[in-house]
Amino acid sequence: MIYIIDHKDSFTHNVVHQFSNFDDVECDNFNKIDQKKLTKAEVIVFSPGPGSPKNYPISSSIYKKFKGKKKIIGICLGFQQILYCEKGKIIEQKKIYHGYQSQIKVISDNSLFKKNRKFNVGRYHSLKLKEPFTAKNFEITMRCVISNVAMAIENNKEKVYGFQFHPESFLTENGNLLIKKILSA
Amino acid sequence: MIKRNYLEDLNKSNKPFIIYKSDNGFDLYTNFSKKIILTNKNIEKFINNSNKLKFKNKETDLFIGFFGYEILNNLIDVKIKKQKGLKFPKGIFYKPETKIKFSNKLSYNSLESIKSNKVFSINLNKTSYKKIFNKFKKKIKTGETYQIKICTKYKNTSQIDALDFFCRLVKSNMAPEAFMIKDKNYSIISCSPENLINKKINYITTKPIAGTLKKSKKLNKVKALAFFKKNIKETKEHNMIVDMERSDLSKICKPGTVKILKKKTVEEYKDLYHYVSLIGGKLKDKVSSLDIIKAMMPGGSVIGCPKISTLKLLNNQEKENRNIYTGSFGYIKFNGDMRFNIIIRSILNYQNQSEISVASGVVIDSNAKNEFNENYIKAKALMDLYK
Repeated sequence: MIYIIDHKDSFTHNVVHQFSNFDDVECDNFNKIDQKKLTKAEVIVFSPGPGSPKNYPISSSIYKKFKGKKKIIGICLGFQQILYCEKGKIIEQKKIYHGYQSQIKVISDNSLFKKNRKFNVGRYHSLKLKEPFTAKNFEITMRCVISNVAMAIENNKEKVYGFQFHPESFLTENGNLLIKKILSA
Repeated sequence: MIKRNYLEDLNKSNKPFIIYKSDNGFDLYTNFSKKIILTNKNIEKFINNSNKLKFKNKETDLFIGFFGYEILNNLIDVKIKKQKGLKFPKGIFYKPETKIKFSNKLSYNSLESIKSNKVFSINLNKTSYKKIFNKFKKKIKTGETYQIKICTKYKNTSQIDALDFFCRLVKSNMAPEAFMIKDKNYSIISCSPENLINKKINYITTKPIAGTLKKSKKLNKVKALAFFKKNIKETKEHNMIVDMERSDLSKICKPGTVKILKKKTVEEYKDLYHYVSLIGGKLKDKVSSLDIIKAMMPGGSVIGCPKISTLKLLNNQEKENRNIYTGSFGYIKFNGDMRFNIIIRSILNYQNQSEISVASGVVIDSNAKNEFNENYIKAKALMDLYK
C-alpha cells in the first residue's frame, strides 16, 4: 500500500490517481495522519503543497522516522521536504515556474534513468534547492536544461526519491513510466 | 408572440421566475412550490435530500438556484471572518412546477420605464488595488499561492427591470451559462460563460476558462489560438487551472478515467475569445451529490491555486462579502444529475442596491495596471446596461 501525505495541495489527487495505476493508495492530510496506515504502508509519498518545508514539521518527523525503513518519494514541496530534512537549504528563486513546461536532462550514471535522456516536464515551484548540496547516499540525478536547477534526487541505497517537477501533471511526458520505475526499484 | 406576451405578463405579475441558457435557447422556470434559503445548518441536508425525492422524469423534477461564495467556503471548512456588505442570503433554491422553453431570441419591451442609475462607485481604487497586488505577489514568491484573483466591486443604488437587463445582455453577450433570477426583493442577471459541473448519470465534466482576448478586426479564431499559445503568461495560467481541475475531479472519479477531452481550445464570443479546456471523468460508485459539490466548489479557475491556501489569503484580505460572486448557479435533478456554472459577469440587485464584482488573476508576471484595467473592461459590459 502507498500512503500519500497531502499538504493541502490542488494537485494531490492527480498524484493519487497516478500511483493508483500501480498499487492501493491511501491519502490523508498531513495534520490528520492515520498511524495504522502509516505503519502498514510500504511506500510513503510527500505531496506537493503551498509554502515551504519548515511549515510542515509533522512531515519532517515522518521522514526521519521512516527513512531507510520504507521507500519514500517526494514531489515538489515533498522533494524539498526531503532535502530540508537532509540539511539542504530551500530558497526563493529569481525566476518562478508555475504551470511551466521545461526540458530536463538525466545527468548521472547512477540514476535509474538513462543518462543524457531529455524530456519535458511540468513545473510549479517558487522555491528551489540551494547548491552546493551534499548528503550521504544522495545524488542529484536530473537538472533543468536551461536553468540547471536540481530536478530530481535519488538515494538508491535507502530508497528515497524526489522530483522537483510534477510527474502527475499533464505537462509531463511519460510521468507514469517514471513512477513505475521508482516503485519497482 | 404568445410567449412574448407570456414574458411580459409574468414580469408584471411579480411572480418569481428563473431563466437559464439551454443548448438551443432558454428555459424558463416558475410557479415555485418551495423556496429554500440556505444556511450552514441546512445546506448539507438540502443537498443530500435533493436526489432522494421521487424522479418521475418530469422536467421540473429538480431544485434550481444558487450557492453563494461564503457558504461554499464554509462547506469545505474554510472560515470567513465577519465582513461588510449587503445582508443577502447565502444561497437560495426553488422547486419549480412550470418549465417553458424559449428560442435564443428573447424579445421583451420593458413596459414601465424604470430609470436606473448610471453612476457607480468602486470599492478599491487603483492605489489600494496595487497595494494588495504587491502583497499577493510576495506570497507567490514564497510559494503560498501560485495564482490568486483579486476581486473589485462596483456598486450603486438603483431600481432595475431585471428581465429587460437580461434580454439586452444576452443580445450583446450571449453566453453558454447565462441566467437570471427574479424574486420579490432581489434579482440576478448573469452572462457567465463558465460551466463548472455537468453531471449525467455517472459521468462528470468541467470546462474551465483561463485566458481572455478582446476581439478586434484583425483577429480570427485561428489567430486567437496562436496568440494564446505564444503568450507564456496565459499558457501558464491555463496549465495550472487544467491540472487543478483534473485534481478536483480525481477526488470523486475512478482512477484512470479523468481525461482532458478538449485541450486548450478557443471559443468565440461576441466581444472576446476565451481559452478553454474540457475535462471529464467517470464517477466512483459511492459518490454523493454533496461529495461532488465539495470537490468542485468554489470553482478553482476564479479563485486561484492551490485552492485552500489561496482562499485563506483572499478571505483575510477582503473586507466585503462576495455574496453570489464566484459562487455557483444551477440545478440538481431528483435523479442526481446536475448542472452548475460559476457566477461571474453578474449583477446582484438586492433591495435596490446593485453590485457587480469582477476579478483578474495575479501570477508572478502580471502587472497591476493591466489587471486593474481588465477588471474595468469586464465590469463595463454590465454597467452599460444601466441607462
